[in-house]
Amino acid sequence: MNFLKLFQPPPIDPQLKVVSGVSVFRDCNRAELEALRLHLHERHFLAGEIVFDEGEQGEGMYVVISGKLRATRKGLLKKKTLGYIQPGECFGEMALLEAGPRVATVVAEEPTTVLAMFRPELVQLAESRPRLGYKIARGVALVMEARLRRIAEGQPDEVSVT
Amino acid sequence: MKEGMANDRSLEHPIIWVAVICGALGSIVLLNTVAWLAFPLVLAVVLFYLVQPLLQRLQLSGVTPNQALGIFLAAATILTVIASVTVLPAIFNSLSEFQNQLPEHWTRLQSVLRQDLLSIEGRFHFAQRAGLADGFQAQLDHFVASSGKAYLADSILFLIHWLPSLLLVPFLTFFFLRDGTAFHRLILRAVPNAFFEKTLLLFDRMDGQMRAYFRGMLGLTLLDTVSLGLGLWFLGHWDGVFGFWDAMLLGLICAVFAWVPYVGSAIGGLVAVATCAVKAPQDGGLLLSVVILFLAVRLLDEFLYTPLTVGRALRMHPLITVMMIFAGGMLGGVYGLLLAMPLLGIFTVLGQMFGEIWFDPRLRARQQARNLLEKRLASKDLDL
Repeated sequence: MNFLKLFQPPPIDPQLKVVSGVSVFRDCNRAELEALRLHLHERHFLAGEIVFDEGEQGEGMYVVISGKLRATRKGLLKKKTLGYIQPGECFGEMALLEAGPRVATVVAEEPTTVLAMFRPELVQLAESRPRLGYKIARGVALVMEARLRRIAEGQPDEVSVT
Repeated sequence: MKEGMANDRSLEHPIIWVAVICGALGSIVLLNTVAWLAFPLVLAVVLFYLVQPLLQRLQLSGVTPNQALGIFLAAATILTVIASVTVLPAIFNSLSEFQNQLPEHWTRLQSVLRQDLLSIEGRFHFAQRAGLADGFQAQLDHFVASSGKAYLADSILFLIHWLPSLLLVPFLTFFFLRDGTAFHRLILRAVPNAFFEKTLLLFDRMDGQMRAYFRGMLGLTLLDTVSLGLGLWFLGHWDGVFGFWDAMLLGLICAVFAWVPYVGSAIGGLVAVATCAVKAPQDGGLLLSVVILFLAVRLLDEFLYTPLTVGRALRMHPLITVMMIFAGGMLGGVYGLLLAMPLLGIFTVLGQMFGEIWFDPRLRARQQARNLLEKRLASKDLDL
C-alpha cells in the first residue's frame, strides 16, 4: 500500500476539471474552483433546445461540459450561423459583468450538459471572496481583450454571444 | 415593487395583483395554522439575514465559510454564557422590581383615567347621566376579577407551549447558514430550462428584498429607540420621571410597536403617554411634550430614517398597507400584523416575476418546444 496516497488531495471533480480549463477561470486555484462549484448550476439541454434567444436579457454565462451548441444570429433573409461551441468552452460571459441583450441565439445541436453561472451569484461570491471575484472579472476582461485584439487585427472572431 | 405596486407593468393584469394579495393573506392563515413551526422558522430567517453579513466579514479576512460559521458559533456561545451570568440576573431584578411596583402603577393609572372621565362628566351632562366614570370603573373591576385570571392562565400556557419550539430557532439558523446555498441549488434544479434565468433573477430579487427589509428594520428600530429614548429622558429627567435606562426601554418598546406600520406607531405613542400619565399625572406640560416628541420622531422616521434604512423597497400605497395590516391582524392576530407587510413584499416580487414569465409568449413557446422534443425522444422507437 502506498501511504503517500493518503496525503494526496482527492481527485478533482471531472466537471470542475473542465471548468478549470475555461479561459475565464484559468487563474483560479483548486480551493477557489471548489468554492465556485457551489454557484454553478448544472443544466441539461436536449438536441434542438434553445439555451437563450437573441435579444433576451443575459443574466449569466455557461460552460459546456459535454455536447455541442450552435450560435446563430438573425440575418436579412435567414439565420446566420456564427459558429459551434464545444466542451471546455464558455459563452455568454459578458452577462457576468452587466445585464445586456444577448447578441445571438444558442441552440443545443446534440444532448448537452452545461454549467451556468449567474451574475447576482457572482456578485454575492465576490462580496465574501473578493480575490476570487477579481480573478473571474479579470478572466472576462482578458477574454474580451483577446476578442477586441483579433477584431482590430482583422482576424475572424470566435463565437461571441453577449 | 421598487417603483410601487401601481407603477409596475408586470402587475397590470388584475389577476396577478389579486393573486398577490390572496397569496399573502393565505400565507398568513397557513403560517398561523402551523404557528408552532412557522414562528421559529420566521425568527430563524430573520437571524439568518442578520448574521450573514458577519460571516461575510469573517470570510473577507480569509477564512472558509465553514470556519467562519464555527468562529461565529463559538463567539455566540461564549457571549450567551457571559450574558446569562451577568446580564440575566440584572434583568430578573428589574422585572421583579417592576412586578412589585405594578399594583401601585395600576392604581395610579385607574385614578388618572377616573379623574379624566369625571372631568368629561363635569363638562358634558349626558356623560354624567350615563355614569361614564362609575360604569367604566365597574367594567374594569369585572374584567380584572374574571377575565384577568383567565388571561393570566392562558398566557402561562402560551409560554409553556412556545418555549420548546423557540429552541428550534438556533438549530434552524445554523442549517440555513451552513446549507443555504446547496438548498437554493436543489430548488433551482426543478425549474425548467426556459424559465431558469428568470427564476434565478426572482430568487435574487426576493433575497435582496428580505435582506434589505430585515436589516433595515433593525437599523430603524435602533434609530427610533435612540431618538425616542433620548427625547423621553430629556423631557422627563428634570422632574425625575424617567431615568436614562427607563427612557431607553420605553423607546425600545415603542420602536418595536412601530414594526406594525401606522397602527403600531399609534399604540406605541399611547403606551408612552399612558406611562407619563401614570408617572406624573399632574404634569400636563410633560404629556403635551411627549405627544410633540412622538409626532417629531414620526416625521423623522418618515422622511429621514426609513429612506436611510428600509428604503423605498417595501413602500406600498398607504391604503393597501392599512387594509393588509387589518386583514392580517384579523386572520393571524399579532402574528398576522407583523408578517402582513413582509409577506406582501415577497408575494409582490413573486407576482411580478410570474407575470414576466407567464405572459412572455416566447418563454412559454420554448417550454412547449422542450416538451415536444422530450415526447419525440420518448416515442422515437415506437410505431405510433
